[in-house]
Amino acid sequence: MTLNERLFIVVPLVSLICNLLLLLTVLFARKNRLVNSFIVLLAVFTAWTAGSLFMRMTVWPGPSFWYAVSITGIFLVPFVFYNFIYCYTDAKGSFVRVGLMICWAVIAVLNMGNCFITDPHITIQNGERRFEYGISPWVAVPILLAVFTFWMAWHLAARSCREGRTSLHQYTPMIVGVAVMFAGTVSAVLPQMVSLPVDTFSCCLNAICLYYMLYKRRIVQLRSFATNAPVYVLAAICSTLVLVNWYGPALRFYDHLLPDYRSYRTIVFAVAFSAFTMLLCSLLRSLMGNLLLKSSEEQEEEVRQFSVAVNRTLHLEELLGLYRDFLQQNLPGQVARVFLKDPATGCYRMQGSTEMALANRDALPADHPLVQLLQQTGHGITYSEFSRTRGFRAMWQQERRRLEEMDVTMILPVLSGSEMVAITLVSGQGQGRAHRRTSLTGQMSFLESTAAVLAIALKNAILYEALEKKAQHDPLTNLYNRGYFQEHIREEFEQCRHGQLSLLLISFDDFRLYNELYGSGEGDLILQRFAQALSSLADGRGTVARYSGREFAVSFPFGSAADAVAYAEQARRWLNEEILRSGEKTRKFLTFSAGVSSYPACAGTVEELFTYANMAVYSAKTNGKNKIIRYKKESEDKRIAHSLKSKRALAENCASTIYALTAAIDAKDHYTFSHSNHVAEYAAALAEALQLDEEHVEIIRQAGLLHDIGKIGTPEAILTKTSRLTREEYEIVKQHVEASISMIRYLPSLDYVIPSVLGHHERWDGKGYPRGIAGESIPIGARCLCLADSFDAMISRRSYKEAMSVRQALDEIRRNLGTQFDPELGRVFIDLVESGRMQVFQDTV
Amino acid sequence: MEKMTFEEKLKHCPPAEVWQEYCGFLSLSLPEYMNIQKRLLMEQVQLMAGCALGQRFFKGHVPATVEEFRARVPLTRFEDYADVLLPQREEMLPAKPVIWLHTTWEGGDFPSKRAPYTESMLETYKTNILAAMLLATSHGRGHFHVRPGCRVLYSLAPLPYATGMFPDLISSEIHLRFMPSVREARKMSFGQQMRTGYKLAAKHGMNLFFGMSSVLYGATRSLNMLGGEKAPSLRSLLGMSPRMIARLAMAKYRNRRDGTELRPRDLFKLDGFVCVGTDTALYKNELEEAWGIRPLEIAGGTEPSCMGTETWSKNGLVFFPDACFYEFIPEMELYQEMETPGYIPKTYLMDELVAGQKYELVITVLKGGAFLRYRVGDIYRCLRLRNPADELDLPQFEYVDRIPTVIDIAGFTRITQREIEQVLSRSRLPVESWFAVKEYDEDGHSFLDLYVELKSDDEQAAVLDCQMLQELLSVYFRSYDGDYKDLKRLLGMDPLRITLLKTGTIARYRQQTGRRVPPVGAPREIVLDILRLQAAQEGGAPA
Repeated sequence: MTLNERLFIVVPLVSLICNLLLLLTVLFARKNRLVNSFIVLLAVFTAWTAGSLFMRMTVWPGPSFWYAVSITGIFLVPFVFYNFIYCYTDAKGSFVRVGLMICWAVIAVLNMGNCFITDPHITIQNGERRFEYGISPWVAVPILLAVFTFWMAWHLAARSCREGRTSLHQYTPMIVGVAVMFAGTVSAVLPQMVSLPVDTFSCCLNAICLYYMLYKRRIVQLRSFATNAPVYVLAAICSTLVLVNWYGPALRFYDHLLPDYRSYRTIVFAVAFSAFTMLLCSLLRSLMGNLLLKSSEEQEEEVRQFSVAVNRTLHLEELLGLYRDFLQQNLPGQVARVFLKDPATGCYRMQGSTEMALANRDALPADHPLVQLLQQTGHGITYSEFSRTRGFRAMWQQERRRLEEMDVTMILPVLSGSEMVAITLVSGQGQGRAHRRTSLTGQMSFLESTAAVLAIALKNAILYEALEKKAQHDPLTNLYNRGYFQEHIREEFEQCRHGQLSLLLISFDDFRLYNELYGSGEGDLILQRFAQALSSLADGRGTVARYSGREFAVSFPFGSAADAVAYAEQARRWLNEEILRSGEKTRKFLTFSAGVSSYPACAGTVEELFTYANMAVYSAKTNGKNKIIRYKKESEDKRIAHSLKSKRALAENCASTIYALTAAIDAKDHYTFSHSNHVAEYAAALAEALQLDEEHVEIIRQAGLLHDIGKIGTPEAILTKTSRLTREEYEIVKQHVEASISMIRYLPSLDYVIPSVLGHHERWDGKGYPRGIAGESIPIGARCLCLADSFDAMISRRSYKEAMSVRQALDEIRRNLGTQFDPELGRVFIDLVESGRMQVFQDTV
Repeated sequence: MEKMTFEEKLKHCPPAEVWQEYCGFLSLSLPEYMNIQKRLLMEQVQLMAGCALGQRFFKGHVPATVEEFRARVPLTRFEDYADVLLPQREEMLPAKPVIWLHTTWEGGDFPSKRAPYTESMLETYKTNILAAMLLATSHGRGHFHVRPGCRVLYSLAPLPYATGMFPDLISSEIHLRFMPSVREARKMSFGQQMRTGYKLAAKHGMNLFFGMSSVLYGATRSLNMLGGEKAPSLRSLLGMSPRMIARLAMAKYRNRRDGTELRPRDLFKLDGFVCVGTDTALYKNELEEAWGIRPLEIAGGTEPSCMGTETWSKNGLVFFPDACFYEFIPEMELYQEMETPGYIPKTYLMDELVAGQKYELVITVLKGGAFLRYRVGDIYRCLRLRNPADELDLPQFEYVDRIPTVIDIAGFTRITQREIEQVLSRSRLPVESWFAVKEYDEDGHSFLDLYVELKSDDEQAAVLDCQMLQELLSVYFRSYDGDYKDLKRLLGMDPLRITLLKTGTIARYRQQTGRRVPPVGAPREIVLDILRLQAAQEGGAPA
């Protein structure tokens, strides 16, 4: 075989292999209209080269058949090329396309009948086999049509550029490829080149150029070459070539070496060939993998490891640290800043960066055009892309300047569902513009995969942190709660082991009363305001917590008891001012008692700190309230003894105190004294009938005795007035309720009667006083007192009215059920009186 | 950060991206547009809050919302800024200016007004000018044709007028061959610049034209520099490029064959044609006919910079969302203000307008500008609220005129009551009473119609007629007002006409109707009534 003949086999063979490889890789790419058109194009190229090769090799069924395959491939090239550009430019309208398809189909069919180029005639010249073709003048028709088809393809590309759908530089590989193919095909007919297989070679180059064009547009990937199909094909081709070339020598070698095993020759060769093919396949796969997959596999491995790491933690800080490390490792020479969403404001605050020296001072407000764009699109964007968006015009100058100062090149959202939980800004180092654009696109897809992994972990961490915060904080005041405070103070105690630590407990005095008087809404408000004040007064010196409903605790690491007392004084001043500021007609009252204990002055452990601070608070409460007491160890026993004694004495003296108070009324107004006794008995009887517990009945009885105690302060002239009271006088009388409370609250052992006393002039329909509460909001004791009080007032004779009969009084009560009186209680009361189960104290007329 | 110039973008980026960056605002919906406006206004409020000038208007309370801004900040005129801007007191401004631009202060205490431009303002100005340039060469959304190195004929007022910034701003972004070059043009007067530019254009051709419509209209009509009826001299042909010679020859041949006149469209194939000036609407059709391409009108001024442009269909202005914050005073409110001293007219925002209604424009210059709720003195008509044909969801406008108290002639000069008083006083003519209105001649060109009553007891009055008065007063107008002089010198126009009224006509009208005759910009019905009254006195029909 001459060199020329060898060339005509080797070049089409190489071209065929290239085309087959490309075809196989594209077959495994994701299919769409464009990829399918490229597959058709490659198939036609393959037909061309395969036909040419097998014709030269005179493979079965013969040169005529392979010539027909090759020439049909050649004739179809212009149309399939046009079709490829048509799909690449996403062009519309199919008239020209269909027209061209028909024309080329007709030409291909006509050529089967040797209309344009005849079948090759094989001649032998100087021992060299030549293929000679007959060319008809009609060949001008397909040539002109080919020129027209290529021109139309170019027109499509140009129009696409003009309309901005594609850019000219995208077509550079295509222009080069077509130019080479055209030159190759035309030069093939030149006498100087006729002996060279330039046409098949140029066809192969063109296929590579077009493949590169698709690769640039990220439609196919080079890594496809490393998939199994191309590797198998390559291995099969190589091993076949080896077998064809080395079979003879190997046979001889075997016969020479192992003449006794000649009968096993076929089996040995078959096994050896298979083993060789497998080895080759494995080697090729490894080689391709190393060449083409290494970087992407490395990236995948990075993402996998990152995914494993982030799923192991639920702590936000730790997660951000992992992300920072990941970015640092994968974006060398670049700086990434991570912004987390602040759920309260909706803005994104910088939470860290890959460069430790950068301060976390940046924030992107919720209405920042960049934030809005990322929320809308949900994918990463380069800064230059962002600068071309419509929203960019809404950027403030300082915002724009800041992003430019940061040299931001890429912006990446981290989306969890529809919510954007974080934003990553990547600042790049200067690189070539073209390189930068390509590398940014590559980086973007890599980082987007990472962001997808991070998003779920981040969302979980944020939720976990929120739950943790919720578990540690009191929802009303947003201060730490008791559980966390007790845990936290132990940590502080360890830190202060060689220093000092003070604990302040603050407890509001009569807070239940405050709630009763002004409503629980007001109570919550003052708790919130007081909590804020405590936090701002502490100003980082200590940890503030809501210890219980009305108690606050403040720890002062390295702070003395004096510091804690001074702090408590500040808090008291604040509370006084706040109460004064409230702007109510009648001045509100709210004070607190506070106790301070400190380590190591009096307490040796955390438990002792709490015990002593509690004792100090108790001491303040039992010594007239509104006090700040510092616990002193030396007086502990005395104080305990005193406290227990005074408590017992108070309990014993309870009855006598009540009678002493009622006696004071008696001295001023005898009616009120006996009235109070009657009311106490009626109310207690009613409470018993309602099956309230014994203690509650006793409370109501005592409340009955004390309910009008405030009348001590009412002028005698009003109390004993015989005529109708004026509006002003009535207002003064109404004040006796609050006056009663003011007196009772100074009797700590009797403060439980306050709710009943306070509400005994309230009405079921809410038109009563002092608070105007209605229905079951009125304490049950107060409702009992109301009935008893009214009943006794009706059946008693007064200086300004005669006594009503019991019947009349009961009728009056019946009439006012549901308006003035609780209907259920009223009916029980009436029943009690009518059945005689309640003793009636009526003045004899 | 690496920034591409406009030219680099044209070379390296797909056209769709370039279009998106510069003309993307035309795809905004009205709510998106308003969002940009309001956001940038709040930036301006913050900048203003930090400077003495802003505190003057905020009076110790910085507005927190757009509504509060509009309710608290008064409508302003240049007088409110004169003490800061005329002496160029930069320390009182919200941001450091890069350049101070000047313009005529019609009716003001000083001949010119000054406006500071910050770096950000110039950046926006540049982007918007480039957008206008793209639009001028476009024939549809996204289809434009701007090439680096193309020849630009430029006949706009030079620095320190705002239009003088155009070449400087553009040349940093794209290489264009200005005719004459920017450096040479700086050494020339406006007239010289124009003449040289036209000569160069005739020699080498041109692709883009930026100019004042009235100037271009004048040049188009005369076309003397191109040879007119006469054959071009050999010397002039030697300086021309072969392409221009071929075009000229072809044009001459066609003109002779068809018996038509040589028109600019026969010689020049313009890619874009940008017109500036208050009377652009009047000349547009004729210019399109002459040059073969419809001019694109842009709106702007010294205080607001370039604030609006037409789109590819060239039939209505769209205001840029980032140049100024726009408010609009309806025409009715304007007249109520003129009739009721102390009346504060209501303003409306872009999304509250009515199609077909005329509005006075009120602007707040964004990006560190000095003007808050500033009454520029221009009247615009809202043509439509959206343009379905162009798929435009924004209101479009056309420039109508200056406010009635200012008479604008060809965009060159703005005549006020004060100027006329000064001219009459200097002329020492025995004028008893007068009023002036803007009128249009049969070609649609504006002129100043001055209605004059002479003193009946003056001897001079007996010999003065309209012609003499016009000549005399023209001389004084030219000497008093440089821009008026340019009007005569550059366009060959004398935009003054005198109508003599019988002594006492104006006073009689006032007595009869009880209406005051505004010295400048009297409504049309008052002018007609006065003419009828005069005719009745003379016993004839009104003129």
